[in-house]
Amino acid sequence: MTSSSKSIVSFLSSCSWLSDREWISKVRVNTQAVLRRAQHIQGQKIPNKQWQTAWLLKAVTCIDLTTLSGDDTPSNVHRLCLKAIQPIRYDQLEKMDMHNKGITTAAVCVYPSRVADAVKSLKAANSNLPVASVATGFPAGQVPLETRLQEVRMAVADGATEIDIVINRTLALTGQWEAMYDEICQFREACGAAHMKTILAVGELGTFTNVYKASIVAMMAGSDFIKTSTGKEAVNATYPVAIVMARAIREYFLCTGHKVGFKPAGGIRTAQESLVWLTLIKEELGNEWLCPHLFRLGASSLLADIERQIYHYVTGQYAAFHELPMA
Amino acid sequence: MAGSTTKTVYDLFQSMECAPAAPSGDATAQAWLDHHSRSLGLFVDSKFVRPADRQSCSLADSKGRVLCSTTCAEEADISQCASSAVNGLEAWRSLSCYQRSKVLLRLVGVLGQHGQCVSELCELCEASCSPATLVRMLQYYSSWAELRDTLMSNWTPLGVVAVVSSDDCSLYSLMLKVLPALAMGNSVIIVPGRCTAPPALLLAQLFTAAGLPAGALNVLTGSDVTLGAKVAQNPNISYVTYSGNKQDGVMLSKATAGMGVPLSVSPYIGATCPFIIFETADLDSAVDEVIEAAFKKRREVCWVLCVQENVVDRVVNRLKLRLAGRKCVALSSDAERDLVDAAVQEAEHQGATLIQSCAPPPSAAQYPPTVLCGVAPASPCVATPSPGPLLPLMIFRSNTEAVTLGNHSPHGLAASIWTEDLTLALETAKSLAVGSVWVNSHSVLDPCLPVSGHKDSGTSTDGGQEGLFQFLCPSSSSSPPLPHSSPIPMDYSKFGTGARPTAVIPGDSNTASAPQSYLQFVGGKACKSVSGSSVAVQSPGGGSVLAYCPDGGRKDVRNAVEAAAKVQPGWMKKAPSARAQSLHALAKGLEAKRRDLSTSIHVQTGLSVDEADREVELSVGRLSVWAAYCDKIQGGSLPVPKPGTALSIPEPLGVLGVVLPEKNPLLSMVTILAAAIATGNAIIMVPSEKNPLPVLAFIQVLQSSDLPAGLVNVITGSRDQLTVALANHSVIKAIWYWGSAEGCQYLQHTCTSPLKTLRLFCQKDEEGSDGGKDWTRSDPALLEDMWRNAVEWKSVWISTA
Repeated sequence: MTSSSKSIVSFLSSCSWLSDREWISKVRVNTQAVLRRAQHIQGQKIPNKQWQTAWLLKAVTCIDLTTLSGDDTPSNVHRLCLKAIQPIRYDQLEKMDMHNKGITTAAVCVYPSRVADAVKSLKAANSNLPVASVATGFPAGQVPLETRLQEVRMAVADGATEIDIVINRTLALTGQWEAMYDEICQFREACGAAHMKTILAVGELGTFTNVYKASIVAMMAGSDFIKTSTGKEAVNATYPVAIVMARAIREYFLCTGHKVGFKPAGGIRTAQESLVWLTLIKEELGNEWLCPHLFRLGASSLLADIERQIYHYVTGQYAAFHELPMA
Repeated sequence: MAGSTTKTVYDLFQSMECAPAAPSGDATAQAWLDHHSRSLGLFVDSKFVRPADRQSCSLADSKGRVLCSTTCAEEADISQCASSAVNGLEAWRSLSCYQRSKVLLRLVGVLGQHGQCVSELCELCEASCSPATLVRMLQYYSSWAELRDTLMSNWTPLGVVAVVSSDDCSLYSLMLKVLPALAMGNSVIIVPGRCTAPPALLLAQLFTAAGLPAGALNVLTGSDVTLGAKVAQNPNISYVTYSGNKQDGVMLSKATAGMGVPLSVSPYIGATCPFIIFETADLDSAVDEVIEAAFKKRREVCWVLCVQENVVDRVVNRLKLRLAGRKCVALSSDAERDLVDAAVQEAEHQGATLIQSCAPPPSAAQYPPTVLCGVAPASPCVATPSPGPLLPLMIFRSNTEAVTLGNHSPHGLAASIWTEDLTLALETAKSLAVGSVWVNSHSVLDPCLPVSGHKDSGTSTDGGQEGLFQFLCPSSSSSPPLPHSSPIPMDYSKFGTGARPTAVIPGDSNTASAPQSYLQFVGGKACKSVSGSSVAVQSPGGGSVLAYCPDGGRKDVRNAVEAAAKVQPGWMKKAPSARAQSLHALAKGLEAKRRDLSTSIHVQTGLSVDEADREVELSVGRLSVWAAYCDKIQGGSLPVPKPGTALSIPEPLGVLGVVLPEKNPLLSMVTILAAAIATGNAIIMVPSEKNPLPVLAFIQVLQSSDLPAGLVNVITGSRDQLTVALANHSVIKAIWYWGSAEGCQYLQHTCTSPLKTLRLFCQKDEEGSDGGKDWTRSDPALLEDMWRNAVEWKSVWISTA
């Protein structure tokens, strides 16, 4: 038995419910029931008036404001950082008496090479907002393990306090769950004190059952968050897949007492969608999960739409884009 | 509302609470009610009528405010309505299929304009049925209306159909009877329950706007289900069908006994349904959906959660987590709260543990969703479910035990089973004695899915093509089987107990001419009756004793049922082709004994030898026809517009009791016998008192056949006494009866708990006619009518992509 398989076995046997090693292989997810559940959640009433505004502000505080482009430079990363510190116009927050409630986004999220720029900008602005970095051969993960580990270490060294790693889809699709567990454990070690968010790339896992299994393995290996996707796959964060992951988080909590966070990412663009996401988390995991410690929204253009909704709530008018500070 | 609006954004930001539910608008529905001055009349002949000096019945909404009052119809209104319905029938059935179909489709358009009013009114009356559902039903039935003569040629509408429902019946269940009845060309009188009355009146009005002829759809309202019985009494009514709760259904059955009108009941409300979670299930989805099913506000069925033992802890943990913080469910009254409290207390007293979303509020007409763990089939909360959001949880060990547990109930409406194992799912679906099985889902309703309550959950099939036949009869059947009559005052406990002429020992000791003694046929053996005594069979003129046959009774029926119930499951599972071979062999056996049978017909009925020969010949042919039908009686897959796979499967009823007709004693007997066993049933036959000999002579054919012993039983004796014995054996699922008006009335009155499916034919002694049936005919529609009455339907829904 390899050391990796020993470690997973020891983990499994540490929880009485998992004493059966075949547990992972027994996971069942009924696709249609999950789709119905998602439809049920999407069909629920979206809060309005001040409820909507409060929920949207909550969504803002959970955003990992992200730029992951080939053309990122220190200047646009700088703009992004300042936007993250002041995501909603101060005068508008003031009208709602929310100006002194610490409304910032949860973090900024950049490529490893831009971590140093982001840390510098935030420091200059006297902010302790965390910088998150994607790593481990983002987005495909198809680079050697040593390179991926090195990438994590360097991002941490540059000052990233949150690392979004991608799993090795090859291992997941071929059912090598123990090997995957082992890899993620090594990433965990490389992260050190930094928070680790594990991207499952659900669009490439094929089935809900695989998503559930990958979620459990990622949590066992010490992830602080599990994240749906990189935003670069064909299918990104969808509500049904979120239900599957949320249920895995619930199962993990039921069995170990550990609360693991959830981060949908990719394709979340409208304020309306962010409200559905909050509703989904509230329904599936409860209010406890509705905070930046346990819920993040990976997004870049979402913030602008939320700003417009809040502008409308405060002023009664629909904003033109130029009235809202750009990121 | 005032309190919550003062909450600041920051308060809400911290609490993340949901906005209070906005009260749904009801302006259009209120306006419609106002237009009727809040006092709704009867809907007769395309208009609202408000006869003077009628009692009224007031209807309140969920908050206790009076919504409106409805008129209580009286005798005069009923006869006016019935004659309107007769005119409506003429107008409606004289339209072409295309025109009828168009009317149903036009209502879709009308609903498009007035959907808001319909949905608001349904909401107010708590008879929820969305306009989208109604549109789906209308589209489905309009296509059947269009294709009636194409796909169901040789069938005609019954005439005026009364659709009766109890107060708690949903609008969906009501319309699932009304629309197919109309689509097939009948005219309909709706006798709605309390909460479906206003929406039914509104729909009737909209139907008129869609071009339905005056009188084709009338609505009579009253104070309770007894109005249904009064309507049934009217001689113009051809068929009464009921949907609602069990008590009212029984009351209606007893009240209409002897009126000479066929009645079918669908007591869906309050049926106990198992929700079975296997170890191979997606537990999270199953738990979420059982919560959704069991704790909804208007609960029509009582779910019982059955969980496999090795996952019970995981299910319980999930239930605890998912129930936490759920809101209380509103009860209908404080009295109901007392019932719920008492039921919970009793369960706790017997050691049940509770999973509750929150502590029950001290005293209010609401109760938190509650799972009762650690209960058993013997627990009162399982045996006699109380109202309120209570969900008993029982544990099973194996797959077979799950089926046993699921079937151990007087009801047979529906079941929800959860497993990702396809083989297990289909095996379980097959073995459950229920009309609807939902795999990995629950409460999937669609008009193309037949709903057919098994056991105590109903005697008719609604929905699907299967459900259309209750509103049709073969064109070739001349007169209604049951002539209208007034119930005879009779003492039901005395029926069939009258003194019988005992066989007199023949004085003539000449053994050569002494009448022959026949034996009956029970459990595969020719035998005497348990009592040991015999009755004499008279010759056609009545002058002399032809033969003696056993005087069977209660114990003979008991023995026969025991034998039949034992072999029937095996017979049912046999391949249809194997059943066909047995029937072919039976035909061959009959052919071999044609001489004997022909003689017995000749001696018994006085028919000429030629005619008797002809009857035997026809009988041989009839057996062959049924043999051929064995593998043609089948269900199929259904086009439900949802992601999934739907199957409808015909299943035998089980053990049938038949009191045989007098006419064509051999031919009628083989027709009925073969229809029953071709579809997989076992049968207990009582030959007519007058003409038993051909049936008794047929026993030798049965003896030499390869039919399993006990599948076919013949018991002779007093018809009335044996009718009583059949009626009072709960294993017998259906009774087909050719006999006296009293007998029909007795059966209608008696066969209510448990429900038996009845086919009654009143034969008048003098003419020897039997409900207009001409046994020599074998039209496809007549045969189809027979086999459709020998099966019950099961629909299986598997939710798949």
